Amino acid sequence: MRIRLVLGAMLACFLLLVGALWRIQVARGQEYQKNLVRQSVRRIRLPGMRGRIFDRQGRILADDAPSYCLAIYLEELRRPGPWNKTVDRVMELIEKLSGILELPPQLSRRDVERHIHRRLPLPLIAWRNLDERAMARWAERGLFIPGADIYTEATRRYPYGRSACHVLGYVGRASPAGDDSGYYHYYLPEMEGRAGVEKHFDELLRGSAGGRLVRVDVAGFRHDDLGFRAPQAGADLKLALDVEIQQAAEAALGESDGAVVILDPRNGDVLALASSPGFDPNGFVPAISSADWAKLIGNPHKPLMNRALAGRYAPGSTFKPVVALAALENERASPSTRFNCPGYFMVGKHRFLCWYTRGHGMLDMRGALEHSCNVYFYQLGLKCGYPAMYHMAAALGLGRRTGIALDYERAGLLPDDAWKRRVYGDAWRDGDTCNASIGQGPILVTPLQMAVVVAAIANGGRVYRPRLLLGVRKPGSKTFETVAPEVVNDLHFSRRALSVVREGMYAVVMSATGTGRRARVPGLEIAGKTGTAEYGRKGSGLKYGWMIAYAPYRNPRYAVAMVIERAQSGGATTAPRIALLFKRIFGLGGADDV
Amino acid sequence: MYDAVRIRRYLRRMDFVSAGAMIILIVVGVLFVYSASYRSADQPVSPFYRRQIVWGLLGLGLFLWLIVSDYRGARDIAWWFYAVCMVLLVAVLITGKRVYGAYRWLNIFGLQLQPSEPAKLATIIALARYLGRPGLRVSEWRTVLTGLALVLLPAVLIIREPDLGTAAVFLPVGLVMMYVAGVPVRIIGFILLAGLLLMPLAWLELDDYQKERILVFFDPARDPLGAGWNKMQSQIAVGSGGLFGKGYLRGTQNVLGFLPRSVAPTDFIYSVIAEETGFVGSVILMGLFAALLTGCVRAALAAPDRFGRLVAVGVAMLIFSHVFVNIAMTVGLLPITGLPLPLISYGGSFMLSVMVALGLTQSIYARRRIR
Repeated sequence: MRIRLVLGAMLACFLLLVGALWRIQVARGQEYQKNLVRQSVRRIRLPGMRGRIFDRQGRILADDAPSYCLAIYLEELRRPGPWNKTVDRVMELIEKLSGILELPPQLSRRDVERHIHRRLPLPLIAWRNLDERAMARWAERGLFIPGADIYTEATRRYPYGRSACHVLGYVGRASPAGDDSGYYHYYLPEMEGRAGVEKHFDELLRGSAGGRLVRVDVAGFRHDDLGFRAPQAGADLKLALDVEIQQAAEAALGESDGAVVILDPRNGDVLALASSPGFDPNGFVPAISSADWAKLIGNPHKPLMNRALAGRYAPGSTFKPVVALAALENERASPSTRFNCPGYFMVGKHRFLCWYTRGHGMLDMRGALEHSCNVYFYQLGLKCGYPAMYHMAAALGLGRRTGIALDYERAGLLPDDAWKRRVYGDAWRDGDTCNASIGQGPILVTPLQMAVVVAAIANGGRVYRPRLLLGVRKPGSKTFETVAPEVVNDLHFSRRALSVVREGMYAVVMSATGTGRRARVPGLEIAGKTGTAEYGRKGSGLKYGWMIAYAPYRNPRYAVAMVIERAQSGGATTAPRIALLFKRIFGLGGADDV
Repeated sequence: MYDAVRIRRYLRRMDFVSAGAMIILIVVGVLFVYSASYRSADQPVSPFYRRQIVWGLLGLGLFLWLIVSDYRGARDIAWWFYAVCMVLLVAVLITGKRVYGAYRWLNIFGLQLQPSEPAKLATIIALARYLGRPGLRVSEWRTVLTGLALVLLPAVLIIREPDLGTAAVFLPVGLVMMYVAGVPVRIIGFILLAGLLLMPLAWLELDDYQKERILVFFDPARDPLGAGWNKMQSQIAVGSGGLFGKGYLRGTQNVLGFLPRSVAPTDFIYSVIAEETGFVGSVILMGLFAALLTGCVRAALAAPDRFGRLVAVGVAMLIFSHVFVNIAMTVGLLPITGLPLPLISYGGSFMLSVMVALGLTQSIYARRRIR
């Protein structure tokens, strides 16, 4: 009897266990399953291949270059017992590899420990950017060393170096934040656009990340791969830039601080956009040293700033065609409107000077443009009235960002009565109008804006949004999807207005007495306008030398705006550079020119 | 004495259901000792499973030899056997080899012996001989206390090793044998009560790591990477098995080493089985043990004398305690105690002593009176 009771009790206990097992394995099994997955699976983010950047002729401006690294696979070197033993072994291997590659070790014990601590399932990169000689030594003697292998990492390369650096920008190592933070356990190094096109189109260029599921064992070493999702490469971009024109523009700037923009007046294409001084974007790959960075940041010439669209300059006399257009289009004056220039002009008790203090005498509008007579434009400005000038300038895109596909663009400043009341607590007066008529005073423009203006004069009044991006090629696709040109505003300049302004600008370069005659290139008809704007404290003698120009005169293909800082004058400093630029663009340079 | 007729007669009269369950359990044991030491296809598996096969075959030989020979021989050597085991238990405390912080192993002529395993068997036989004596007055205090002393002596020696889990098995085995021998329930109840009251005293005697294990049982988050680790990991392993398991050699907890490799083939073998075969497999395993136990109890019921009956009950209780405690700790119902799973866990001493115990019960069953 008692024996049966004992058996009964035993079997009852077994039933209890079965109940407990049911609860754990079946009822709550899912929960434990999840627990298990969470504990042993790591997600690694794989960046997509960055898209390339081409110029309009298909030349590569920014490329993905493989960088060969020597990686150490820790799971093959693991040692039981304390971590120190594994670290010892890794250090031994690094020592040995250092002998084979004839490269000094770059990792300290501390680095290895940190890697083990933070990124154990990932390979440890012992050397980056192996050169051909190191690769050859590896192939000869290192191929069969367990635990070490070659590993390729994508890096960025800019074949043209400093050329177009401000347009292209540069990349940096991406911070692993972003919307998916927390989802991945480990991030592989990834590039992130930090400036220029690289930054503005970062999302397109980057593509989408893939991932790798890695199972780790209890110590955290990689055990095997569970899954893989291929990353999507980024899109290739074709820019409107033409490297040859860009290089010509940069050569024209030379060592001076300044900027130049060349647009195609027929569609607003940005053929060149240069700012000086520049920098070498290759210096940012894979990461810029803090010393180099400090040098860039501390340089008083601000090489990182893109003066073409972030530099704000008083336009000086290059603003005069805008005044002329305002007066003509609003019928406040005609081409034959004449004013006398005795060398100065009185507004109330205040004397406004012409740059030519002996006076130009009687001038019509064409002559006034050719000689860049200030007194003529004081009077024309007063006759026209500031509101009409303001509206014309605004219609041409001044005082507003052009909307080019680059960051950090400045709007410049187009003042009006309200602005002056706000800032100076005073009404807009005739003196202000006189100053504005010759592009002085508070008015500020960027070289890019002036290029848009000169392009509009060349094409008859179409104000384009500068087109930097010509096309996008999605991964897997053979052809670029074209980006259409965009007309922001069509002013439909009257024939009368156009012809007098164009003829005036023609004379600026082509006439023997024009202020821009130094821009002349034999065999080429160029129209232009010089400008010299004072800046800095009064009497400091600092001047911006401006020149806007387009060519060929009868069928314009290039609209240029150039500014040089610390210039003597537009005519003396900038005009010869315009000549240099057009010579190279039209291939007219050579023997007969010397 | 061992003529062919006799051999055939007793072998034919053995309990085939129980013996079948036993064989299956041994095979399952070998399979999962292999699985528990398995890492991946390209890495060598430690030779544990091969040794386990040797132990199994050796045990099987002993088992068959015991069926044929008379179990009453065990009664004759009961005291000698008991005495030798006690000497070994003392010896292990003095000269034993330290493994994981405890002295449990004795080195005899190059063989590793865990004296606590044969001591379990010796105690069962000695107690059965004492309680099975004709004319013993079982309701007398003197009888009960003597019996208790027989059980407590090895238990205390084993606690000193220290091996709390193994020591704790002696008490239920002794009590159940006394209960079946006819000791009044009130006396057994009194002993249990006294034991409960003495618990706080025992607490003071425990080593820190033993206290920690018990504390961790009540609060697993206490030390998730230390003492709580095995419990949590074995629970995750068992839980993730689900209804049908992940398949043989597919258990990740074990393969990845989340279940410590030192205990996976021994005390935690059940969590490997549960992970790989799921609820269905675990229940089948319990069914096999139930069949084995039922066989022992059948032997006790059919035993021709009191000694045989008590031995069979003792063996049943011994196996039951191990199975219950082992599985209960794996699923988190009991604190972690290092008790192996009979016939399955890796280990020679325990395998042999369990096979001897089962051989004895079969020998008893084979000599039943046939009505």
